[in-house]
Amino acid sequence: MISRSPSLIGARVTRVEDARLLTGRGRYVADLDAPGAVHVAFVRSPHAAAHVGRIDVTRALAEPGVVACLTAADLAPLARPIRAESRTRGYRATDLGALASGVVRHQGEAVAAVVAESRYVAEDAADLVGVDWEPLPAVTDPRAAAAAGPFVHADLGTNVILEREFRTGEVEPAFRAATLVVADRFRFHRHAAIAMENRACLAAWDTGRGDLTLHSTTQIPGMIRDALADILDLPGHRIRVVAPDVGGGFGMKTILYPEEVAVAAIARRLGRPVKWIGDRREDLLTSSQAWDEQVDAELAVDGVGHILGLRATVLCDVGAYSMYPWTASIEAVQVISFLPGPYRVPAYRGAVQAVATNKAPMGPYRGVGRPVSAFVVEGLLDRAARRLQLDPGEIRRRNFVRPDEAPYRSASGVVWDTATFAECLERACRIADYEGLRRQQQEARAAGRSFGIGIASYVELTGVGSAIPASPGADISTGTEGATVRVDASGTVTATFAIASQGQGHETTLAQVVAGTLGARLGDVRVVHGDTAAGPIGSGTYASRTAVIAGGAAVRAAEAVRDKALVIAAHLLEASASDLDVADGVISVRGAGDRRVTLREVARAAYAAGRRLPHGLEPGLEATRYYDPYFGTASGATHIAVVEIDRAVAAVRLHRYVIAEDCGRVINPLVVEGQTIGGLAQGVGAALLEEVVYDGGGQLLTGTLLDYLVPMATDMPPITVEHLDRPSPSTLGGFRGVGEGGTIGAPAAIANAVSDALAPLGIEITELPITPERLFQLLAVC
Amino acid sequence: MSEPVTVRLTVNGVAHEGRCEPRKLLVDFIREDLGLTGTHVGCEHGICGACTVLINGEAARSCLMLAVQANGAEIATVEGLATGGTLHPLQEAFREHHGLQCGFCTPGMLMTALDLLRVNPQPTEAEIREGISAVLCRCTGYHGIVKAVEAAAKVLVPAKRV
Amino acid sequence: MKPPKFDYHAPTTVDEAITLLSRYGDDAKLLAGGQSLMPLLNFRLARPAALIDLNRVEGLAGIREVDGQVRFGAMTRQRAIEFSPVVARRLPLLVEATKLVGHLPIRSRGTIGGSIAHADPAAEYPAVLAALDGEVVVRGPRGERVVKPADFFQTYLTTTLGRDEVLTEVRLPAMDGKAGWAFEEFSRRHGDFALVGIAAIVAGDGARCTMARLATAGAGPVPVRLRAAERILESQGLGDAAIEAAAARAAEIVEPDSDLHASAAYRKNLTRVLTERAVRRAVTRLGGR
Repeated sequence: MISRSPSLIGARVTRVEDARLLTGRGRYVADLDAPGAVHVAFVRSPHAAAHVGRIDVTRALAEPGVVACLTAADLAPLARPIRAESRTRGYRATDLGALASGVVRHQGEAVAAVVAESRYVAEDAADLVGVDWEPLPAVTDPRAAAAAGPFVHADLGTNVILEREFRTGEVEPAFRAATLVVADRFRFHRHAAIAMENRACLAAWDTGRGDLTLHSTTQIPGMIRDALADILDLPGHRIRVVAPDVGGGFGMKTILYPEEVAVAAIARRLGRPVKWIGDRREDLLTSSQAWDEQVDAELAVDGVGHILGLRATVLCDVGAYSMYPWTASIEAVQVISFLPGPYRVPAYRGAVQAVATNKAPMGPYRGVGRPVSAFVVEGLLDRAARRLQLDPGEIRRRNFVRPDEAPYRSASGVVWDTATFAECLERACRIADYEGLRRQQQEARAAGRSFGIGIASYVELTGVGSAIPASPGADISTGTEGATVRVDASGTVTATFAIASQGQGHETTLAQVVAGTLGARLGDVRVVHGDTAAGPIGSGTYASRTAVIAGGAAVRAAEAVRDKALVIAAHLLEASASDLDVADGVISVRGAGDRRVTLREVARAAYAAGRRLPHGLEPGLEATRYYDPYFGTASGATHIAVVEIDRAVAAVRLHRYVIAEDCGRVINPLVVEGQTIGGLAQGVGAALLEEVVYDGGGQLLTGTLLDYLVPMATDMPPITVEHLDRPSPSTLGGFRGVGEGGTIGAPAAIANAVSDALAPLGIEITELPITPERLFQLLAVC
Repeated sequence: MSEPVTVRLTVNGVAHEGRCEPRKLLVDFIREDLGLTGTHVGCEHGICGACTVLINGEAARSCLMLAVQANGAEIATVEGLATGGTLHPLQEAFREHHGLQCGFCTPGMLMTALDLLRVNPQPTEAEIREGISAVLCRCTGYHGIVKAVEAAAKVLVPAKRV
Repeated sequence: MKPPKFDYHAPTTVDEAITLLSRYGDDAKLLAGGQSLMPLLNFRLARPAALIDLNRVEGLAGIREVDGQVRFGAMTRQRAIEFSPVVARRLPLLVEATKLVGHLPIRSRGTIGGSIAHADPAAEYPAVLAALDGEVVVRGPRGERVVKPADFFQTYLTTTLGRDEVLTEVRLPAMDGKAGWAFEEFSRRHGDFALVGIAAIVAGDGARCTMARLATAGAGPVPVRLRAAERILESQGLGDAAIEAAAARAAEIVEPDSDLHASAAYRKNLTRVLTERAVRRAVTRLGGR
């Protein structure tokens, strides 16, 4: 038996990142200094759709301090268009140039890049670029756009970029046999990620070596490097992509953006470092948006609330382009993949159409499709419960996949390795004092107040391995990550990963995994990530995968190093490796604690080699290992939202919030709680505040943070989070992903709470966010 | 006029002088001309609060002020909080209570909370929420931040009495 | 989002500022606290040839009591008003309204003169100015004039302030120490502009209402004194029925517009509800504290 420092995994340790971030010593892209760097401002389309005629750059070039002014024609020889391919049948890819040529397809699309000595001057000169715009009719209504032209991409001859359908069981007979069918049209409006750090990048071209270094606010440095190799026609080893400190991503920074290509190409052309620091206006106009669906859904149940069938037709407005690498399928298909939720659904038909419009492109954003799935299926379950006079908790209990049924293949084909759904519900009800809340509700109703309790249960697939692509059909691999664990001669440990962090605290949590597995002291482990030149091959951080996949790779690599360290220690101590314990950087003979060596001594021996190593043992003390969890693992939770509605002013007040979740083996409770509550806040925004609004001409009406409203501290309720801590049986280390769940459950739970509060008035929420205006309209017709 | 102007100010107790166009935003002057990049730019229209610094002791948006307007002012930024490698009790509380994730709003959040605790040394939870609603954080859901400010208030109040 | 080029002037006297304004004609902007103008510059929605910064003008900030009035130099910061003992004593309504102006870091810079001259219809100070029937002092090349709110606010972001005039002072009559007051507003989030706000002051004697002052923010292009609603209170008293009738009348008077965040119908509803709430809360404060 070998003891490790397992107490480190699961310990509530404060984060190593914090020291620099709290003192203003973080290094975000905008903070990076590059001698001789010039700044880019893009000339962006004021129109949602337009032919781009002549571009006159003469006045801009005459402005003092302007270095260059480039258009699509200038960059074409340097960069191919970005194109997200997919094997999915019937999928239509779209070309996206670093700068638009010929046609612009959404407001804010760039047609020229002005390069100047400062951003101020670049913006001055961008104002002086003359563009002959010939506005085209804007496509903004996806339902109309699915049926007829005009087409966002004329060459495609359709606006439907993708259609997909899942079908399981006998759907029509199930509905004929039902005692009750509940149906509604659900509308989930468009959202934006609003990372506090806007997108930015800095490209430096080394003319001597012929290589490119791109610092970018990206979540996926590995995938950006690989894509740039193709687009810029450079060998991969000539490109280094670095994600330094990054100020939030939430999925929005998992895309290869045209600005990254443009800045890289311009740096190569000019032979100078080129910096683009996107501003908030650019973020709101051009960063990927999310969750824009209309869902017609019906649920068939028997007389006691058992689900017999579910069918849904989803219309997904994917905006102007199918973005690399995920394609427009990721959001659209996730909605129908996860509609069956954590329930036994014997018959299911889910169909989705992804429709292009002249709006900013859709991309993955925290939860990806599943906030919408949960809103729909949880809303339908509550409707059924109300009609059958069942408690909403009870109808869920009757339909959850049971623990003994796991592994369970869902109606859409997703495999749940475990099914702790009922346990999450019971735990959440207990924490919230559900019965007490119902009594409180009765008292409130008797007093004429609208008090509501909303339950939402969900399950998601996290740490998705190679069996199921993170984005269906996309031509990328997302199922693996690597880790290199190296003990240097001073006995300290460097663990290198290809993942990137945007605030998740990987430098702490992955260090806990490495130190805990290896038996090193936590302070002796340094995690390096976000740099394609630094370590193993991998793609990045997205899809709640890092704890599972990079964590699994860390376990493997640390185990390999530990095993070798034990062999060397056994040699030094003249003992058998199987008699050794390792903890806190010390290896000792079990039962003879004075016979010990430190990890440092072992490392010195490993590199000194010679007689200090067992005969034939390769010198060195490091290992690189990869991990593929293959299927991935189920993360689930139950959310309970408690709301009170001020009917007179049509306002929803979140009174309390409870989450019971199964995120597997917890690496660091502090971080898990932070991820969950942070995710919840974005779900609160989705439910009550946030909405991207375009007018009928494709003009963005929410172009400031006074109009696109993200939650403030005053919008958040008191929150209780508890973890089930059931190690996943199907992942190394037992970890499950926890990055997105908070966002998935909240819109559904809050919508259900509002419907519950207003049930005496017969109001059921079908549209999110529940703005005061929408609520006023609903109350006005009562 | 629009010609460069000289700006003299004190940042974290250190006198600085620089020349810039009158249109240069204070936040850009602090970051680019003085090299203090701890203060962040998040929206440039006064909503997100990432650029909040103390100007003559009062929290204000450095994106809504021209550098030239700060002539003669005493400015405090996040870089001045820790002394000699020891975190300020507010910073310590943020670490202890996981009051930050990506760290981008953190400098503005810290300076805002510092001002809040100065005008209201023992705020209620509701007052803390109201005070820090001046700064948007997209990572934490504010939970850890509220707890951190509560904890810091407890530490800072007795310290002041001494 | 960097401001365009402009000439920058930082006069030290009002006269100097007026001379500069005259020189630039329509093409200069006065910079007070900057909390509204700077975003417009950063978005390049405002592109003045010159910025005339009032922050170095001497004697333009300060609070003093004169003849039953509290007089605010135009450059008095909202933050100074929030923490002023004089204002707390004489104008508690203004303190309550001030706490709703953005957030403290905004109020550190924002000024009373700037807020009123900017004339955002959703802002709190214009509503308080209207409710208290205060006055603003304006100086130009032809001298000084004192303007009542009804003659000052014209429409959205537009006042009768001449292009060569500077708002120098805001004068608010000190409130009757026995009066009750409230500023009620509804906004999407804390510190956001009000969808509708109601400033209320009532004085009474038992159930009798001797004086009522009601004014709106956000319920139309300019702050509106709800005189017909005031008359209902003054004639019918401060009982439930009178308050409800006054609130209903308030909603009839206002002519709000629809925008991204609220329809006209919803704003009318808010006007009714918030008027009722403001008056009720004001009534609870009757008789001094």
